[in-house]
Parts: sequence; structure tokens; C-alpha cells
Amino acid sequence: MNLSSLVGTVLARADQWRWTVMPPLVGVAMMAMIVGALVAAPREIVQGEVQRLMYIHVPSAVIMYAAFFVTAFSSVMLLWKRDMRWDAIARASATVGVFLCAMVLLSGAIWGKPTWGVYWSWDARLTSTLILFLIYTAYLLARSVAGPLDEQAARYAAVFAIIGVVDIPIIQMSVRWWRTLHPQPTVFTPDPALPNEMLLVLLIGFVAVFALAAWLIMLQSDTERASQRVTALRAEVDHREMA
Amino acid sequence: MGPVLTVLRKDLLLAWRNRSGWASAAAFATIAVLTYSFAFDLATGDVRPLLPGVLWTTFLFAGVFAAGQSFQDEVEDGTFDAMLVAPVPATAIFAGKLAANLIALLIIEFAQLLLATILFDVGLFTPELLGIVVIGTVGYVSLTTLLSTMGGHVRGRSVLLPVLVLPLLVPLLIGAVRATGAALGLESGTAPWMLLLGVFTLWSTLASVLLFPVAVER
Repeated sequence: MNLSSLVGTVLARADQWRWTVMPPLVGVAMMAMIVGALVAAPREIVQGEVQRLMYIHVPSAVIMYAAFFVTAFSSVMLLWKRDMRWDAIARASATVGVFLCAMVLLSGAIWGKPTWGVYWSWDARLTSTLILFLIYTAYLLARSVAGPLDEQAARYAAVFAIIGVVDIPIIQMSVRWWRTLHPQPTVFTPDPALPNEMLLVLLIGFVAVFALAAWLIMLQSDTERASQRVTALRAEVDHREMA
Repeated sequence: MGPVLTVLRKDLLLAWRNRSGWASAAAFATIAVLTYSFAFDLATGDVRPLLPGVLWTTFLFAGVFAAGQSFQDEVEDGTFDAMLVAPVPATAIFAGKLAANLIALLIIEFAQLLLATILFDVGLFTPELLGIVVIGTVGYVSLTTLLSTMGGHVRGRSVLLPVLVLPLLVPLLIGAVRATGAALGLESGTAPWMLLLGVFTLWSTLASVLLFPVAVER
């Protein structure tokens, strides 16, 4: 079985689940995350209650990257297969990625004020996250100025999305050469420095945000597909009326 | 090389015959440098540390503006579609357009360096600084050329182009501003920033050359 048919099968299966399995899964996971973050997780000694933002901030940041990679992958597939379904998926995951990126920037600002004393600083990670936000809102803007079935605009946006994703490591390298305020990685190391209870809640946070993002991408690409079909039908009606 | 030179000659000839596009980019760059110099002089006594930022923001805005302008006529006359039908590789067409834009922009930039030399009283025509300007310009022209040639039919393209290009160019802006600052003796060591500039330029040129044929395929 080749890659694209495998992806197609997985997507079709997930598509069947979008109103059965996904809503309760997302609901339960989000509830677990909220209860875990607000009640179950221990209070951090130095930073206090505001540290509880971590349970949404960190998963949102990681899943945001995943969403942008889905956009880039779908863009490659669009250029390769010339199938507009990939355009719908690319747009949907970019929309969800931009939403998560806004969440990350916002929760980061709220976290930063009591911890660093400022809402915003031109720190390396803040800067690169903001640039990502700008690139993918520009992508959505570039795609939305043309109709849902405009293949040339879709190809244009796809090329831009690919350039954007390849630019990410260079942006990160360039901004890292400034001094950074951000904590050094404490989670993705062989011996995590986080206590077990916190780690567990963080893990639940990952599952919850992942499920939410996946569900939103499904629903949004459904919507994009529907608007593609409406456009096609409208064109057909116009065509028949002319005849 | 044949098709590249033909496209280059055609674009330069058109740019010369229809000077208004490039002339307005040059005028825009001039007015930007003058305005910066004037506005910053009101706010601070020593404007020299601001010079690298002034130069590169002007270069980028003028470059994006000019790329949109230079392609406008091609879209309106439909000559770009005609050129793509020609039995030459799309890469050659891209290389020709890239070279034409590069030459026109370098002329504008050297004029701005001359103006800034007078306004800021700093010697800008050193080999090191000219090297930084040329490398940086190659780096951003490849991306602006790619993105301006692609969106021919997209509405509101001239407004969209800077919104698309400028976030992608942030690494170039960082590298170019810091390298220029170091070359002017405002900070020490051009080497790391030159490296960043070089890496970005290599990347953007390669990506543009590889993606252009895919992007314009009908």
C-alpha cells in the first residue's frame, strides 16, 4: 500500500468518527486537562499559580508545529497530485495552527508578566513564534483572496506554505543568536526535571490539545470541501442557465 | 545561458523603456532614507547607530515594491503567459528575471548608499559593506521575484506581497543589519552575521529556483 492511499484510508476512517468518537474524546480530554491543571497538579513553589498555564501553553506550542507540518505536507501533495482535497486539508490545518499560535502567544504573555515582569520581549522563541504567526496568517490571506476552486491560487499558497515551513529552522537559528530569556528545555530530556504529577498532567494536556486540533482540522477541512462543492455547483448552474 | 541572457536583456530593455516603475521605486527609497534621517535626527543626537536598520528596511521595502511594479506590466499585457509557452526551461526564465531585478535594485541601492553617506557622514563604500549589500540583495530578490511572478491573477497582489515576503525575510534582516553594523564598526565581528546572511541567501536562491517551475506550471 503506498503512502497516499494509506493516508487516504486513515483520513476516511477519521472522517467517519468526526461526529461519533471525536466529540466525547475531545470533551473528556479537555475536562481532564482543565481539572488536572487547576486542581490536581501541585502548586509550583517559585512561580505560584500562574505556572498552571504551562499545561495548555506547552502542548499548544508543540501541536501548533504539527499543524503547520500538516499544512506543508498537504501542500506538497497538492502540487504533486493536483487534487483540491489536499488544499482543503492544508487550509484547515493552517487555520488551526494559527489559532494555536495565537493561544501560545496569549498564554505566554499572561505567563510572562508575573514571571519575567513583562508581557512581551524580543526573546528568541517569542520572536520566532510571532514570525510563524505572521507567515501563516499571510498564507491564509493569500489563499482566501481567490475562490475555493482557484487551482492557481491554491498552488501559489502551497508554494508559499512550503517556503514558510523550510524557513522555520533558519528563523529559529537567526533569532537564537540573540540572548534568550526562555528556560532551557526541561521536558524533552532523557531525565525530565519535572515532578511526576506535573508530567502526567502535561501528558494529558498533550492528548487533549492534540485531539482538539485533530477534530478542528477534520471539521474545518469538511467546511472547505463543502465550499469547494458549492462553488462547483454554482458554476454548473450558471453554465446550464447560459445554455 | 542563451535564454537567460535573452530574458535578462528583454527585462532590462523594458525596464529602461518603461522607467516609471523603477523610477518610483528609486524615489520611494530616497524619500524613505530622507524621512528616516530627518525623523531620527529630531529624536536623537547620534543617528549613526540607526543607519544599518534604516538602510535595510529601505532596501527591503523598495525591493518588494519594485518587484510588484516590474511584474505588473507583464500581467496586464499577458506576456508572462506567452513567455512560459516558449520552449525553454522555466528555470532559465526565472534566472533571467532574477538577474534583471538584481541589477536594477543594486543601482537603486548604490544611489541610497551615496545619499546616506552624505546624510549620515559615514564612509559606506568599503569592499566589506558592498559585499554585504550584494549578498543580502541576492537573498531577498530571489524570494520577491518568485512570489511576485507567481501571484499574477491574485487580487490585491501589490498589498499582499509585502505581507507575504517580509516575515520570511526576518533572518536576512537580522543578518544584514548586524553585519552592516559590524562593518561600520558599531559592534565587533562581522563573521557570524556574514555566515547567517550567506546561509539565508543560499537557501532562498535554491528554494526559489527549485520551486519556480512547480509554481508556474499550468
